[in-house]
Amino acid sequence: MTALVKPKTLFIGLALLCVLAIWLSLALGPVSLPLLDTLRVALRLMGAPIEAQGLEQAELILGQIRLPRTLLGLAVGGVLALSGVAMQGLFRNPLADPGLVGVSSGAALGAAIAIVGGAFFGGLPQAFGPYLLSLCAFLGGLGVTALVYRLGRHNGQTNVATMLLAGIALTALAGSAVGLFTYLADDATLRTLTFWNLGSLNGASYSRLWPLLLVSAAVALWLPRRAKALNALLLGESEASHLGVDVERLKRELVFCTALGVGAAVAAAGMIGFVGLVVPHLVRLLAGPDHRVLLPASVLAGASLLLFADLVARLALAPAELPIGIVTAFIGAPFFLYLLLRGRA
Amino acid sequence: MRLSASAIALVVGLLFNLGAHASERPQRWVSAGGALSEWVTALGGESNLVGVDTTSQHPASLKALPSIGYQRQLSAEGILSLRPQILVGTEEMGPPPVLAQIRSAGVQVEMFSAQPDLPTLKGTLQHLGKLLGDETKANELFSGYEQALDQQKNWLTKAQATQKAPGVLLLLGHSGGKPLIAGKDTAADWVLQQAGGRNLATHSGYKPFSVESLAGLSPDVLVFSDRALSGDAARAALFRENPILAATPAAKGGRVFELDPTLLVGGLGPRLPQSLKQLSAGFYPSQAKPAP
Repeated sequence: MTALVKPKTLFIGLALLCVLAIWLSLALGPVSLPLLDTLRVALRLMGAPIEAQGLEQAELILGQIRLPRTLLGLAVGGVLALSGVAMQGLFRNPLADPGLVGVSSGAALGAAIAIVGGAFFGGLPQAFGPYLLSLCAFLGGLGVTALVYRLGRHNGQTNVATMLLAGIALTALAGSAVGLFTYLADDATLRTLTFWNLGSLNGASYSRLWPLLLVSAAVALWLPRRAKALNALLLGESEASHLGVDVERLKRELVFCTALGVGAAVAAAGMIGFVGLVVPHLVRLLAGPDHRVLLPASVLAGASLLLFADLVARLALAPAELPIGIVTAFIGAPFFLYLLLRGRA
Repeated sequence: MRLSASAIALVVGLLFNLGAHASERPQRWVSAGGALSEWVTALGGESNLVGVDTTSQHPASLKALPSIGYQRQLSAEGILSLRPQILVGTEEMGPPPVLAQIRSAGVQVEMFSAQPDLPTLKGTLQHLGKLLGDETKANELFSGYEQALDQQKNWLTKAQATQKAPGVLLLLGHSGGKPLIAGKDTAADWVLQQAGGRNLATHSGYKPFSVESLAGLSPDVLVFSDRALSGDAARAALFRENPILAATPAAKGGRVFELDPTLLVGGLGPRLPQSLKQLSAGFYPSQAKPAP
């Protein structure tokens, strides 16, 4: 596969797209704010000495609602796309997605336990509930992935094919457990569960944002350092180890980073499908398979896609809101098809 | 002279006070709860509503208002864009971080209980009455409601003297698929009991049933609560597809009734007594006349 676009052009384009996405995400919403107010508040939030007079409403909307939401979208989109690259590199298959190692189904199981179990024990305390849900989802994702990794190991070697099959089996198992919880759930709990599975950036707050920002920053800084090793892995495992790559360590790192990143993203925003699978693919179509480009470009592309999807989610039915999981696939899939068909011609 | 001066002061003071009260009362309302929206309307506050959630379907005029989506999945900015002064809803309203954001924008957020019992309804109505500035009307509505339910109970006692309570199953719509049966600890179970029916289902919550176990219970009455299943034609089609359902005593005796599914969410609503009356008239056909 040859690159359609030079890396430099791609980075400039994606950076501009990302800045545009951030600006639109801050400037647009169901509440229409004058452009000038948005600018002044944005400058104020960055520490510029501008008087707060008459800007209280704008500052609240921007500072407490749109900014945390934008940051959440950036982190979730970036880390999901990055994990997608890691998984496609690990399995040497462009159809791999982060769900393959069980992190999504594990998180869903954790969330189902928190939602249904919480309702069973007389409802979670208002202040505490969302945190417990996030924590359970995160731990569920991490737990199932650890199990998948453990099952794939034999005599100090990690067999990727075994891991893949173990991932499929555990995903099915976790899925049936979620089904059981769905059956046990009452009506209201069921609705909560359904909406959680569709994902949303709604209700983002700083207190729940920090853990995700830290985790995704760590993952985004760490994975690109392994770009060369991932490139070597493209040739095959034994080839990579002949080239001096510690393949076992690389696999461990890829699985760990994915579990951590996707676990934190899902814990903060619920299940958002499609980004992890298609964004890396899309970038690969544009720029070729070199991981030195693919990794950072996917972060930018994933973050931008998620912000645009969120704009649609919050504006399409305003004052109500669409779950973002619906939108990501709805705008992403046709665009992906377009690129696919164009590449073939 | 002195007297009239103090009288003027008193009158001015009163006027000022009244004016202050009127302006303190929230004028722009958003309601996230079907029964609450109905009560707000019944208390004369419909013109104050600027947005409602998807469970607010009655009266039909509310559907013309901007929809804020499902009550558990509210959007802070969406609601704020309606510039409300107050948001009312049941404890099902959420998610909590969004409510916190709405509160921090200076909007009064009032949560009511959806518990289906009279003391809760009394509290809800009094509170709403105070917020809307018509406490007399709220008290009137409540005593009327209490009376209607009392009459219902008396009628039922009389009816049950001559006829055994019928075994009932309530089928909740799952449009297209298999219906869910209402078990214990559901709003539907409470409605069936109030209407004098004996719920044959013993599980808790709403669960899908195999047709076989449904027929095994041989219900005397079937109640459908599904917008897709309203009307005789839809029901006839359902029975054609499910011969076992059609073989139940209920279907054979033609004792199949409808219940508006919006009655089952968000606590006691103003339309409930009327629906109970209709249901129980169907449950006890021997008691020729329905409750007055």
